[in-house]
Amino acid sequence: MRRVVITGVGVLSPLGNDMQELQEGIESSRSGVVHVESWSEYKDFKTRVCGLVNWEDYKVIPRKSRRSMGRVAIMAAKTMQDAVADAGLSEEQISNPRTGISFGSTMGSDAALFDSIGTIAKEKTFNGQNSMSFLQFMSHTVAANIAAMFKIRGRNIPACSACTSSSMAIGIGYESIKYGMSDMMFVGGSEEAHPYNAGIFEIMAATSTRYNDSPDQTPRPFDTERDGLVTAEGAGTLVLEEYEAAKARGAKIYAEIIGYATSCDGEHITTPSSEGMEQVMRLALDDAKITPDKVGYINAHATSTPKGDIAESHATYAVFGDKTPISSTKGYMGHLLGGCGVVESIIGLISLKTGLLPANKNLLKVDETCAPLDYLFEHRYGNHDIVMNNNFAFGGINTSLIFKKIEE
Amino acid sequence: MTEELVRATLKEVLIEEFEVEEDEIVEGANFFEDLDMDSLDAIDLIVMMDKKLNIDLKAEDAQKIRTIDEFVTLIMTRA
Repeated sequence: MRRVVITGVGVLSPLGNDMQELQEGIESSRSGVVHVESWSEYKDFKTRVCGLVNWEDYKVIPRKSRRSMGRVAIMAAKTMQDAVADAGLSEEQISNPRTGISFGSTMGSDAALFDSIGTIAKEKTFNGQNSMSFLQFMSHTVAANIAAMFKIRGRNIPACSACTSSSMAIGIGYESIKYGMSDMMFVGGSEEAHPYNAGIFEIMAATSTRYNDSPDQTPRPFDTERDGLVTAEGAGTLVLEEYEAAKARGAKIYAEIIGYATSCDGEHITTPSSEGMEQVMRLALDDAKITPDKVGYINAHATSTPKGDIAESHATYAVFGDKTPISSTKGYMGHLLGGCGVVESIIGLISLKTGLLPANKNLLKVDETCAPLDYLFEHRYGNHDIVMNNNFAFGGINTSLIFKKIEE
Repeated sequence: MTEELVRATLKEVLIEEFEVEEDEIVEGANFFEDLDMDSLDAIDLIVMMDKKLNIDLKAEDAQKIRTIDEFVTLIMTRA
């Protein structure tokens, strides 16, 4: 079977806009979550916290490409630019028919959606609408726009599955290369911040509302004092290549993807299933052909909701017991929704490169109903060579990715 | 509405919304060949000018315009 390696990275996150800044943000226990006063204009809307990306240099994306992008796609396109440069690829390699992409987001551009639909619904007319709004808010806006901008000629499989969008995109890219459909895949995802994202979670009583005046103290995955998730924005791109081809061209290799699985709970539309989470972790380990003890760090999905963190902890315990270091890095930046899978995978790459086992920011006392895992209270530095990244989404969709350091 | 106002408004929209360089906006400039615009841009240019000048322009008018002068003439006939 063909091996799949990561040879380029681009990231925009609330903690920083490249791998170095992201690493430094985690190591200094900084928070990317801020108080957003402008949300007070929404009636009876309680949460005021959000993880925001400090980047608006939109003109690095040419106008002809940018005009059909909202912030969600613009951020993704910027990370694609950075990843392509990082991997040192030529236009010929990018536009090869055996080079494809997979990108996703929960929503297209919420801002574009609100600007457009509000007027249409209220005034019952399409007059005055520009031609770009739909292209900015359609579900596969990220994948479609990146394909057009970078002249992608190979497969394009949008992965729009809410919080597993970008982890699923990585999995799609991995399988595309592994099973011979592509030789190179650009994969990732994105999400833009908008009160709508937070609002839909607040309707379900899932947002953090007690830390509006101390935003750096929320979210608090696994902590007794957690009170819900914090929405955030961000994007990331990984360049995936077939191992022998990457080696032959002398590419810098961050890590190998050795395992991936996706599976469904097939139960409740929103309630997390511990059995489903356990299943997907076991399937990923089977795909990687490794036993659980080989995994040196788990980046948990844990969003800081009461039910989700408990379910995930028990699923993890069932597979790994209590010896594998685990943290949810959402404590640093909130929940990037469609962007979380790729950004948290990039944190996994940082862990493999530096040995950093990131602490669970804001975890002071573990919820007693959570399983007894090796929760990281402080940063540690290990000598591990395998990490796992887990993500779960509405619809009972689960993904698990396993990355391994490449021997020099 | 004066032709001067129409030209000034068009210039502003081309610079602000379509990022056209000011020195490219000259008499006879072709939207598609000289200003790097396409059919979707033409539709959005029509929508923006319609809003700014409150005139009766429709998306299908986009097919009738190729140059700045043609567009200005079209607007003046509707004003």
